[in-house]
Amino acid sequence: MYNFITKSPTIHEIIKGLELTKELFVSSIIIGEAHTGKKGLINHLFSSSLPRVSAYNQTELEDFLNHYDELIITDFEQITNTHQYNFNNKKIIATANYITNQNSIDDIFAFIYNMPSLKEREEDIEYLSQLFLKEASSTLMVEKDVDISDLKLDLSQNTKSLKKSIYRYVVIKSIQEEEIRESIYHFLYKNMGGNNAYKEYLELYEKPIIEAGLKKYHSQLKLSSILGINRNTLRKKILEHKIDV
Amino acid sequence: MYDINFQFFIDSDTNPFILFDSSGKIIYLNNSAEILFGYVSKAELYDMTLRYAPATFGSKHTILTLNYDSFSFYAIDVGYESEEQIYIRLYNKPRIKQNIKIDKNKFVLTDINILLEANITLFKIKNSNNLKLMTDPDIPKFKIEQNNFSKLLRKTLNSFTTSSYIDITLKLLIGEHIIINEKRYSIVQLSILSDRRDEIKDSEISTLAKESFITSIFKNNSIILEIPLLID
Repeated sequence: MYNFITKSPTIHEIIKGLELTKELFVSSIIIGEAHTGKKGLINHLFSSSLPRVSAYNQTELEDFLNHYDELIITDFEQITNTHQYNFNNKKIIATANYITNQNSIDDIFAFIYNMPSLKEREEDIEYLSQLFLKEASSTLMVEKDVDISDLKLDLSQNTKSLKKSIYRYVVIKSIQEEEIRESIYHFLYKNMGGNNAYKEYLELYEKPIIEAGLKKYHSQLKLSSILGINRNTLRKKILEHKIDV
Repeated sequence: MYDINFQFFIDSDTNPFILFDSSGKIIYLNNSAEILFGYVSKAELYDMTLRYAPATFGSKHTILTLNYDSFSFYAIDVGYESEEQIYIRLYNKPRIKQNIKIDKNKFVLTDINILLEANITLFKIKNSNNLKLMTDPDIPKFKIEQNNFSKLLRKTLNSFTTSSYIDITLKLLIGEHIIINEKRYSIVQLSILSDRRDEIKDSEISTLAKESFITSIFKNNSIILEIPLLID
């Protein structure tokens, strides 16, 4: 049994609709961007009762349609010509990232639900962020709490990019001096070459130290004294590395 | 000489018959007329009676087309023998016999309220119209082609996305029947009333309705679906 947790009122309504018709012989489709939880929702409601096939595998899809009257079809957008399959007298529960032919969808499915993207689900962004943070901390065995309030969440690919941005942030926030060195070592070992490598890769050190210093001390004068360099030298480095001040 | 009870025959006639007095008051009406009055006002029928009355005593037959909801008439008789009483008789337009075979595998016993609720849930996700539902929970389960009927409901409801209010009523029609394949079935009426609606999908709705033996009636601000209560 899969669990599907959401705080979005729209998705709760979709669940209500699907629950109401679960035992009926009606076809439903959930359409929405990738990684919005469509498949998870279907798994949560139907996985134990219906066979499942992806439309990416068209031979298998045909085989399933020949054998079952009730089935789950994921990636329905991959079916460019719905007329080549027999959907008559079938109960189809489907997911699609987008619609290729509105008329066919209209004809096959009684219930057409639109899954909101994560951007449209403020309630879920906060909830999923905390969930992924907990999961990332546990997986990466980070003992200290990581504060993600400064993190600019990446919602461009819904939960996929959100999860990635949080895992990445947890790694960055928990990394220690020795790991930074090790990481730079591997990076340089892989990329070093040419005839100006020293100056080229000095940016790896100089840019973050100036950016962090400016954020922390708010003043170039103060920072130059903390760094122990001339303020003209600091100014030159800021321009050289195109740092926003 | 036989004593013939003409009233019995008129009562049983499927063509509506109404007798008015000189002030427009109904003196007598048969059973069909009683049902008809659910869809048309007394004043409207009395006006028509006077309009088509013969110039002198006797009766006049007029061919015309009249539609009141699912009632269609092709002619009327209006007549009088005295100044005190005038009658109108409306002739039912013959209905095309529905001899389509019911695929018993497709039509399964269903609680119509569940399909209605699921469709309203779907509609409400996308629309915020003020929607009221009056339903009769005592309507028994009856046979519905569930997928087709749900598509019909979705398209019907989607005709009302621009309405400021939507009143949905589901009820069993008392005393009215539909004949399919020589069998009489009671009628469940689903009416959706509003202040305005979109008519673009009317023909699609009508086609889907016919596939489920449902009569669809379209008006400016409402759609009525008369659904046969298929039990066996």
